[in-house]
Amino acid sequence: MGGKTDVWQGTLALMVLKTLQMIGPQHGYGLARRIEQTSGDLLELNYGTLYPALLKLEQEGYIRSRWGVSDNNRKAKFYELTKAGERRVSKAAAEWEQTTEILARFLSPAEEA
Amino acid sequence: MRQLRALWIRLVSAGRGGNDDFDAEIESHVAMHVEDGMRAGLSAEEARRKALILLGGAEQTRQVYRERRGLPWLESLLRDLRYSGRSLWKNPGITGIAILSIALGIGANATIFSMVSRFVLRPAPVGNPSMLLSIHTWEQGDNCCNAFSLPAYNDLRDQATSFSGVAAYYELIPASISGSGEPARVWGQAVTANFFDVAEMPMTLGRGFTSSDARVPAVVLSTQLWRRRFASDKQIVGKPITLSGKLFTIVGIAPATFHGIDQILDTQFWIPLGVAAELVPNLPPPGSREYHWLSVIGRLRPGVSRSEAATELNALARRFAVAYPKTDQKNSFVFEQAGSLPPRERDAVLLFLSALSLVVLLLLAIAGTNVANLLFARAAAREREMAVRLALGATRARLRGQLLFESLMLGLGGGAAGVLLSLWATRALSAVHLPAPVPLDVSVGVDWRTLLYAFALSVACGLLLGLAPAWAGSRPELARALKGEDALARPGRRWNLRSLLVTAQIAMSIVLLSVTGLFLRSLRSAANIDIGFRHQGLLLLSVDPRLNGYTPQQTSQFLAQLRERVKALPGVDAAVTTDVALLSGGNRSDGFTVTGHSAKDSSSTSTDLYMVTRGYFEAVGTPRLSGRDFGGEVANGPKTAIVNKAFVDRVFGGTNPIGQRVTGGGTTYEIIGVAGNAKSRTLGEATRPILYRSLDQNLGDDPSLSGYTLVTHTAGNPAALAEPIRRQVHAIDPAMAIFNEETMEEHIRSAFFLPNIAAALFGVFGFIGLVLAVVGLYGVMSYSVSRRTREIGIRVAMGAQPGAVERLVLRQGLVLTLIGVALGWPVAWIASRFAGSFLYGIQPHDAITFSVVPLLLIAIALTACWFPARRAASVDPMRALRME
Repeated sequence: MGGKTDVWQGTLALMVLKTLQMIGPQHGYGLARRIEQTSGDLLELNYGTLYPALLKLEQEGYIRSRWGVSDNNRKAKFYELTKAGERRVSKAAAEWEQTTEILARFLSPAEEA
Repeated sequence: MRQLRALWIRLVSAGRGGNDDFDAEIESHVAMHVEDGMRAGLSAEEARRKALILLGGAEQTRQVYRERRGLPWLESLLRDLRYSGRSLWKNPGITGIAILSIALGIGANATIFSMVSRFVLRPAPVGNPSMLLSIHTWEQGDNCCNAFSLPAYNDLRDQATSFSGVAAYYELIPASISGSGEPARVWGQAVTANFFDVAEMPMTLGRGFTSSDARVPAVVLSTQLWRRRFASDKQIVGKPITLSGKLFTIVGIAPATFHGIDQILDTQFWIPLGVAAELVPNLPPPGSREYHWLSVIGRLRPGVSRSEAATELNALARRFAVAYPKTDQKNSFVFEQAGSLPPRERDAVLLFLSALSLVVLLLLAIAGTNVANLLFARAAAREREMAVRLALGATRARLRGQLLFESLMLGLGGGAAGVLLSLWATRALSAVHLPAPVPLDVSVGVDWRTLLYAFALSVACGLLLGLAPAWAGSRPELARALKGEDALARPGRRWNLRSLLVTAQIAMSIVLLSVTGLFLRSLRSAANIDIGFRHQGLLLLSVDPRLNGYTPQQTSQFLAQLRERVKALPGVDAAVTTDVALLSGGNRSDGFTVTGHSAKDSSSTSTDLYMVTRGYFEAVGTPRLSGRDFGGEVANGPKTAIVNKAFVDRVFGGTNPIGQRVTGGGTTYEIIGVAGNAKSRTLGEATRPILYRSLDQNLGDDPSLSGYTLVTHTAGNPAALAEPIRRQVHAIDPAMAIFNEETMEEHIRSAFFLPNIAAALFGVFGFIGLVLAVVGLYGVMSYSVSRRTREIGIRVAMGAQPGAVERLVLRQGLVLTLIGVALGWPVAWIASRFAGSFLYGIQPHDAITFSVVPLLLIAIALTACWFPARRAASVDPMRALRME
């Protein structure tokens, strides 16, 4: 295949949460870059979809935001995980691992035999 | 949970502006991206372009963000609502008229429905009402339904397995209650000891009866009596109370909502059936299966269906028929949910309520047609606005939705105002005193069922009203509408919505006005009914010495003493006693035959019985036609009677009856006189045969359960006599309760109750309907003609004579009107047949009503056509052409 993949529906939220857990409070732009880097630049992230996703997570209470100052001395809105967000990350990550494991068994059944 | 939290936040932030925060965030995002790009060697311009591309466009991002932040559909809904509200507010005249029309319609419907809810839908105020059944006996060939005899109840209770409990009660027991305050007469019931358990009735205070109370003088009081006579004394349980001179111990207070299983009788106390004889001296013999005197309720066992219960009751009826062929042979059992309308009255009540419902629904429909026409006219006036909005890209669905919104708001506004109206109307209705010898509770109020009904009607009304204008208004012919021409009038179409409205309006008005016209004519003729006795100068006042423990002889003496004392009062011409005043809704009646002729002529004449004393006829003003008056009768002497003319006509074919003997109810009377006819039970009745007998001769072996009424005649104001007479009663016996104290005029007025209330209800609704119909018909007609001003102008410009144009318009209006009349008249004709049983002195197909109403409506319709047609035809054709 090769080339870049679009972000699957529903997975962006988990990526955001996991990234925030790894690197701590971060602004939108930084998050976007970080997600791209983590994916090894295999993902093409439309930055415009990131902000509604952040807003949704905030409305659901998984993250919170406050205005701060970036490394380059620029005013930016920083997002960080809440307690509920921490719990959500561990739970969703476990679910994903299970899902991918099950799918992997279907996709390469020969190994089972 | 998380989704709910998000929804709440979105709901709160919906409709709020302020993108500043997000704008700043985007700005900082782009700036950081540009910095990064420049650091990677791009020009500032190139870096900015790339940043915006990756962001997917700043404006699009903002839009997506906005949609996520609030609730877009809610916001556009709120916007439409605001817009609708504003456009209604801008036309206060139209809005006011529309809301008022709908309010009248909904108010009338809510008022009538509150009666339906109260009398038909409301379950009995008992525990789990759907499982409690009222059981009746029904003898084949007889009218449904009858009560139980005591042995029949016992058999049913012991043998029926479908019920977890079966209880019985004796419906109406009068008692005088004394203690603090003036003695009063109250009505109660005698119930089996399990009655309150079967009804699953928790007591407000104390307890119901237990099996150990079966023969104990215990009593349960209603909350109302407890409040009125005992000031809600919390310590009352266990205290004694005197009912008709007998001591009873209060064991409990029933809940305020409970006035007996029957929801119309207003029962105030309950005693165990085993001690009923204390208050009712002539109770039927308990072992007899022939006297049907007990009402029965049964609690269905859980899991038993009504059809299973019916099957078992049928089997039991067959078993009893074999065991007791003499009394139970043709008997069967029927039941309905306890607290339903009594089976005998159900049909009449349902008929009355359906007639009223029909009238008020028509009223609402007529009001609705008016409003639809108004909205339609407004839609026509707004078509330019609609066209502009369409041209600017609004979708038709959105416009339609918005017009519907407007009419929905009108409907709900009208509904709210209507409910307020019906609150007032039901209070006025509840204040009406029902004329009946027993206390009835017929208060109505706006309950939750009525509110729900009114709400549903308002919504339906709003949607229906808006449908046509919304449909038409949202599809103007764009090009014409933008030019300011009439885009709704589709050329070449002969039948448009407006013609439909006119026809429907006329048809509905015919039905409404014919039905109400009938009732109003009936009221007029009721006022002219000859009742056969005088209205004025009479005071009625009742006592029941029997309830104070008087023997028949003592009662007779008491009444004689009272008459003497009252006659001695200044201004009193005559004082006589009867058992029950005429026009009290019914009294004793028996089938009579001529003694000795009975073998040959077996058909008996149903005759109403009244007891009177000497001088009664002169006092009330009923003429004595022949023979002599009572006088000198003794209790065990031969019985004498005076009959009315209808009795003579019916039983003796008009020949002289004096000295003849007649037999009824096991007693033979010698006829000593003939009196004029008088109305006995109700105003509307065909004249009934009446037999008057001597009070002193009969109160011993056939005492009146309704007490005895002193009738006093005076040349002056009878109401002024009330106080002196009360004093005379209490001078003889201070413990004597006085009831039904009223002047004959008041009494007759309450006898007019049924025709009055029917005529008042129909009259009020009919009048509202007439006004709405006239205004609406005129409006619809004149508006639809005035829309043709331009066409008329063209006709005149082309050389048509103004007179010919007027005739053309009138002819077309007449055709519509006649179609409406042709549709409505047969419906009115059929509907009036059902109203027949409430009419006094006129035929249901009253010629005057059925000819005046259509003519009136045709006249209104033609007038409504003629004025605008004339105006249109008389204006200068050039101006008519330019007008639009």
